Amino acid sequence: MSTTLAARDARVDRARVTSRLTGWSGRSIIGLVLVVATLFFIIPLAWLLIATTKTEHELAVRTPFAIGSWDTFTTNVRQLFDFQSGAVVQWIRNSAYYSIAALVITLVISVPAGYALALTEFRFRRILMVTTLVVMLMPNTALVLPVFLEMNKVGLVGQPLSVILPFSFYPFGVYLTYIYFSTSIPRNLLAAARLDGCSEVQVFIRIALPLASPVVALVAFFSFVQNWNNYFLPFVMLPSSDSYPMQVGLSTLLSSTPAFNPSAAGSESMHLPTLALATIVSMLPVLILFLFSQRFLVAGMTAGGVKE
Amino acid sequence: MNRIQPRRLVRQIGLLGVLSVTAVAVLSGCSSNGSDSSDGGRGFSEAKQDKNSTITVWVDATRVPAVKAFQKANPSIKVKTVTYDGSANGSNSFKTKMSLYDRAGKGWPDVVFSSQNNDASWATQGVAGKQPFAARLDKGLIPAGTLSGFAKGALNPCTVDGGVYCLRNDLAQTVLWYDNSLLKKFGYAVPKTWEEYQALGEKVAKEHPGYIVGSVGDTWTPEVFMWSSKCQANDVTDIRKVTVKTDSTECKRAASMLDTLVADKSLTKLSVFTPDFVKTYTGKVLLMPGPAWFAGAIFNNKESLNVPKGRLGVSAPLAWDGDSAVAGNVGGGTWFISSHSKNLANAAKFAEFVTTDDAYQVDLGPGYPAYAAAADKWVKKQESSGYYATDLSGLTAAAGLVWDGWGFPSFSQEAIWAKTITPLVSSGKSIEDNLGTWATAIKNQAKVNGYQVNE
Amino acid sequence: MNKTRKGRRRSIGAVFVAPYAVFMLAFGVMPALYAIYLSVTDVDGGFTPTANFSKVIDDFRFFSAARHVAFFLGIWLAALLVLVVFLAIVVHAIRARWLSASARLFFYLPGALAGASSVMLWLFVLDPVASPAGPLLRAMGMDSFTNVIQPSHLPLIFAIIAFWTGAGGWIIVMYGALNNISTEIMEAARIDGANPVQVAIHIQLPLLRKWIAYMAVLSLAAGTQLFVEPSLLSQASNAVVPNDYSLNQLAYQYAFDLNDFNGSAAISVLLLIVALVLSAVFVTKGGLFETEDV
Repeated sequence: MSTTLAARDARVDRARVTSRLTGWSGRSIIGLVLVVATLFFIIPLAWLLIATTKTEHELAVRTPFAIGSWDTFTTNVRQLFDFQSGAVVQWIRNSAYYSIAALVITLVISVPAGYALALTEFRFRRILMVTTLVVMLMPNTALVLPVFLEMNKVGLVGQPLSVILPFSFYPFGVYLTYIYFSTSIPRNLLAAARLDGCSEVQVFIRIALPLASPVVALVAFFSFVQNWNNYFLPFVMLPSSDSYPMQVGLSTLLSSTPAFNPSAAGSESMHLPTLALATIVSMLPVLILFLFSQRFLVAGMTAGGVKE
Repeated sequence: MNRIQPRRLVRQIGLLGVLSVTAVAVLSGCSSNGSDSSDGGRGFSEAKQDKNSTITVWVDATRVPAVKAFQKANPSIKVKTVTYDGSANGSNSFKTKMSLYDRAGKGWPDVVFSSQNNDASWATQGVAGKQPFAARLDKGLIPAGTLSGFAKGALNPCTVDGGVYCLRNDLAQTVLWYDNSLLKKFGYAVPKTWEEYQALGEKVAKEHPGYIVGSVGDTWTPEVFMWSSKCQANDVTDIRKVTVKTDSTECKRAASMLDTLVADKSLTKLSVFTPDFVKTYTGKVLLMPGPAWFAGAIFNNKESLNVPKGRLGVSAPLAWDGDSAVAGNVGGGTWFISSHSKNLANAAKFAEFVTTDDAYQVDLGPGYPAYAAAADKWVKKQESSGYYATDLSGLTAAAGLVWDGWGFPSFSQEAIWAKTITPLVSSGKSIEDNLGTWATAIKNQAKVNGYQVNE
Repeated sequence: MNKTRKGRRRSIGAVFVAPYAVFMLAFGVMPALYAIYLSVTDVDGGFTPTANFSKVIDDFRFFSAARHVAFFLGIWLAALLVLVVFLAIVVHAIRARWLSASARLFFYLPGALAGASSVMLWLFVLDPVASPAGPLLRAMGMDSFTNVIQPSHLPLIFAIIAFWTGAGGWIIVMYGALNNISTEIMEAARIDGANPVQVAIHIQLPLLRKWIAYMAVLSLAAGTQLFVEPSLLSQASNAVVPNDYSLNQLAYQYAFDLNDFNGSAAISVLLLIVALVLSAVFVTKGGLFETEDV
């Protein structure tokens, strides 16, 4: 296993050529499968986009894919951002803060840990591996109360740290980096660096880390998405709506929507199209990140695991 | 590479064990309840009071104007507002958060609004020797004169074992809503009894198919029809005791009526909040038994049925032949004061203001006020808007008619109905035949919630 | 020289791993052990090794919830294993780079949707009247929302929702793994006259084995914790789908509805045991640890 990324890309291209289905029937099967699958994944989202251009009444009465009007869209935008005098902006800011802070800590602790697990020896290595796997299988509901009590003990409940610190513990990230380092980094490269007089820290920073950039991107992306979408922990930790992240905020919006909470049919109630818009706003950061990092993602996943 | 020796692994596990026992000991160690507390003679032990401390109030988005009105009227009192979901729609966030604070031994807000009306059932009960969250209000915290000013039965959801533990924000008594113009056009009279209602429903099915006289698609169907028929499915007789008896005439007559009209399609199986309902029945709702808040939520709402001005009428709850008329109830929010509050005086002042003062209840409140004096003014204000085809005396009458044989246990009757009866109804099965299934489901749920079911 | 090197590497390993170990203790091990401690004690802290377990197993909702989760897991895992691998192979076989990239993007997109957003989306998608899939639902004889969410349909519906949100990520993973299969092997097979289907079955599938096992383990862990989908649908259907449909929801109900953290912990521990046992099967069958030098 000593391929560089560029070499792998070349190989990928050749592999693609050789594995393609040939002939008319093959291509039409591929086409059909792709169309059906794409429709399955995309139609609900397309509908969601269209929903933001309609009023609630139009949403119910008109056919699913009838497009509303630009005016209605801007009205919905206004309603969303006027809700509780701009709470949505605050929620997005909170989400970004929690997710990014946790992401940085995750990377700082996970990447060296994955490296150490894969390429060094120390006591408790095996047990650390097994525990990492077991903790990944532990139901979340079971962990929330103990984590809450811990945070309470150190007086952090209601503080941003009460969310950021638990977010930063990301065993899946350690597992991914572990697989990457144990399969994709040629050991003789590290040994050569050591012979050249690099210290262990230098070996990690100068040699291993640059080679690991795909998996760092991968862990960063997954951890960001997970933090961004996490609902339960912030719901338990943060009492105040000012400190909610977007996901918990969305549920506040949901409970202000009469369709889901009839008692909300009052002064500041939400409409379904506005909720649809909130949904799209809430997923935008993840989407943008995905678009920018897709190349890294595939590279990172490609690199993991399979040994030659 | 070198395989780890079993013995070493055991040693590692042992060490981890020691570490974790320490951890558990730290975590589970009781937090001291050391703060100075005393019995203030109000039926619970009070925290040390500080008259100048800020009070923290939790409200849902709809109740934010109430806090603003209070601040305007009392600029000297420091209030911190926290907006949360109001514990709405089964989120149970009020209960969830309080049980976490109970565990933590601190963090409680001073006043909480809940959109539900079954919170007193848990907020008055301490778990594992902890002090219950709700402060008792009728032993001096709230003046007796204020408490007696609430509509008859309005404080039932707040009353546990004779004590009052919360103030009601609004009432959600059930009435009969109707489209006055449609009734006139078809030449029908407003029914006075449930028997007339059923007969009219059957007639509508024949003469004007497609028009409806109500809906059974929502979770509050039992509260609209069974409660107002005095069906004893939810009779909370003591703090943790409930009587469930669904084989009575009272239950059967309502169930049989529902079965008939559902089969006739003059009662729709659709929830009134579904797009389908709006699409199918806009302009076709002849009658609709339902809570007071239906007016703003579905009729006078351009996103829903959007009934034009001057058409919507309201009549007092219907009676069954030979029985007195009673109303059901669907929701209506409540305000709780924390027994852990450091500023009970201001907390009480706040709760009293938001439930009784005209500045909120009459001028801003969206629902029918639970406080009788405010309700009268609120009704006048609504009538003067000219939206309704009739006066609102039906609403006022219903406010005092809510039947008290239907209790407020800690579990949700709506959820039980939704999961046991709604699927049966939608697959065309009879409610009357399944009253036993319903009772069993209620009893099961009551038992896991710690209720003793009276036989 | 070599010895001191080794010594230094050993200590640097410990240093590198230390922060993670601290976090793991604080947010993984300690909470987990505390949950286990809760599951064998009563509310006053007295030691009751079996009481909580027998209480939750006797709960009238326990076995139906367990059955629901089992049904769901069966459908979902099968769909994931078959369809994800199939779609990955198909996408991998596309020649046009832009087409393959956008197919992967489309498949991944729903994964970005979470929480309240999905509640609303599925409220509409499953309501035949306003649904973009309305004709399809009606063709299957379901003409109202409550008809669609009949109890017998639920495992399938949850599997579809979970597949919709989760499959895209795995398709990308599988795609990556397929890229790693060496060209020589593929070319050799082609020269031997193997058609694409044969290549898939005899070459690609066996080489994907480890990844499939990996996906199965993680999905199993996620699947036994089925929580989000039924909670969403419970909210969207105003509780016609009960809020105690799955075991994890039941654990949640115990903790926050009944205020019984001990019973809740007992359910979680049972879930953990099941997940561990099933995972062990996939780990050994899939040879997940085979190439690890431990």
